[in-house]
Amino acid sequence: MDAQPAMADISGAAQPLKQRTHGRATAWLLAPGLAWMGLFLVVPLLMMVYVSFWTQTTFSISPTLTLKSWIFFFSSSTYLDALWTTVRVWLITLAATLVIGYPVALYIGLFVRNKTLQTILLVACVVPFWTSFLIRVVAWRPMLGTHGAVNIVLMKLGVITEPITVLLFTELSVIIGMTQIYVVFMVGPIAFMLSRIDPSLIEAARDLGASTGRILRTIILPLSMPGVVVGSIFVSVMVLGEFATPAALSGRKVNMLGNIIVTQVGSLKWAFAAVVGVVLTAIIAAVVAALLRLVDLRNEL
Amino acid sequence: MIHPALELDAVTKAFAGSPVLDRLSLAVTPGEYVTVLGSSGSGKSTLLRVIAGFDTLDDGDVRVNGRSICGLPAHERGVGFVFQSFALFPHLSVADNVAFGLRNRRDGAVYDPAEVARRVTEALYLTGLEGLGARLPSQISGGQKQRVAFARTLIVEPSIVLLDEPLGALDARLRERMMVELRRIHERLGATFLHVTGNEQEALAMGTRVAVLSEGGIAQIDAPDTLIDAPISRDVARLLSCYNVLTGQVAGGRFAASGMDLPVQRHASDGPAAYCIRADGIAVGDPQTPLPAGHVRVAGTFLASEYSGARIVGLFDVDAERPFEVEYYLGHRTPPEFSRNRVYALEWPAASALLFASA
Repeated sequence: MDAQPAMADISGAAQPLKQRTHGRATAWLLAPGLAWMGLFLVVPLLMMVYVSFWTQTTFSISPTLTLKSWIFFFSSSTYLDALWTTVRVWLITLAATLVIGYPVALYIGLFVRNKTLQTILLVACVVPFWTSFLIRVVAWRPMLGTHGAVNIVLMKLGVITEPITVLLFTELSVIIGMTQIYVVFMVGPIAFMLSRIDPSLIEAARDLGASTGRILRTIILPLSMPGVVVGSIFVSVMVLGEFATPAALSGRKVNMLGNIIVTQVGSLKWAFAAVVGVVLTAIIAAVVAALLRLVDLRNEL
Repeated sequence: MIHPALELDAVTKAFAGSPVLDRLSLAVTPGEYVTVLGSSGSGKSTLLRVIAGFDTLDDGDVRVNGRSICGLPAHERGVGFVFQSFALFPHLSVADNVAFGLRNRRDGAVYDPAEVARRVTEALYLTGLEGLGARLPSQISGGQKQRVAFARTLIVEPSIVLLDEPLGALDARLRERMMVELRRIHERLGATFLHVTGNEQEALAMGTRVAVLSEGGIAQIDAPDTLIDAPISRDVARLLSCYNVLTGQVAGGRFAASGMDLPVQRHASDGPAAYCIRADGIAVGDPQTPLPAGHVRVAGTFLASEYSGARIVGLFDVDAERPFEVEYYLGHRTPPEFSRNRVYALEWPAASALLFASA
């Protein structure tokens, strides 16, 4: 009889103590990461917003707050064009990576049931990354140029009589190049989600009378949506911030927001570069937020 | 001529060269509830997968109402399959899971939402799931998932329902309740059920007939009581796990095994044989008392007893490959208190033993 309340007392005191140490451990474990992120991510981002309101003269910049750079950005057709180009290239590349990547992921994740083979195939998708970015981009030129491989083959086959000139140094070549580089970031997450689908779900759907097309639409596609969203986030973040591929494959004809930032920083227009940076960051944040609304990733992964 | 609802004709299937089903034949009459009893790895699941069309046959034929369905893909066979793992669609609500077949089947899909809703409500009611339609599979219990799996299969009114260890993922108490439910559902629907299981009690309780699967074929198919009273082979007796099986030799009308010498009632030819005696047909007595006429007796050392609610099993070492089991149904006969390591006399009427010549 005596032991009962004593036991309750001990456990009652132990509970908050345990929670307190637990809370302290959490704080200690998170501190290095939080400090790092605060110092090198949050503070620079805030600085960028701040600098975008500074006063820019031709060769110098002074911390007098003004809206001039912002007004200049939104009233210049060149920069609004770049904004529109960025959005357009992003949407087309996103669609292309999805259209090309999904069937590949479907094959790797669903049709290949051997885990080892799955891994080998996914690694094979990453092979292009074993060469440097510059070499990959440069390799596109003899491929797509007016006297390039694609045109030679098509003319030899008699499909065309005149070389296709839109293949290189156009928006198309930028999109082709980006799709080639980024499609693997779409394939990976989708293949991962597809490989987690229990084969008996597909058998059950088939047993209930559904044809392959129906099963794809009603079972496989919805269950792979988290993979599509994660892949889209990867591709979107990388494409929206691109500057190297458009510079190398468009002959500087296609200017994305990233290219504008590079040019402005190069000519020491810090306030203006900051404005474009803020705009780009806002777009990326909005895109990621919108994509995350499609699927509750915390529930799915 | 009335065709069997389901007819398997010399069905053969091998995986990587090793045969799983070997010229298996089985006929199930319309409305029958047949259970297939087999140990794990005996090919019970393969049997169902071949009928459903998930695996293809190497040889033989599967006929439904007299029509061969071997060439048809799974979604055109009209055979319902209930998975052991339930295989519920995790992204769909209970109601949408149940409605899946109605909405999405290639032949005879129902497009009228009111009709779908009516039939879903009916199926949920039949399986005792009223009010759970809006939940996701992750938000319901194991027993409820099992009911959803039933409802989802039954709503499309298959003439044949295949159940792959449907109660295997449930705990014992729930299993007994679902057995009652399942029998009720079968009676209401009147469809033909083929239910495979590794649990002999489930097989005996559920089936109007029980088919015993052994070495790739049906070793015996009979009503449960016939099966229990007269298994036709040692393997069947073993699988039913209510027999003690002794292996030894028959010579001159007597069966001899390690340390045992028992008279054989029936006319038995000499050679290696298995002697089977039901665990609930054995009396445990004092070795000093005289043996009743027509009975046989062996000496057994009491090892332990296994208590399982309604019955208790006493284990005796009789110097055979495995201990002898003596089964007592509580309320029917109360077991005496046995003391460990004491030698008792195990007695049974010689006529109640079954003798099988082994190959």
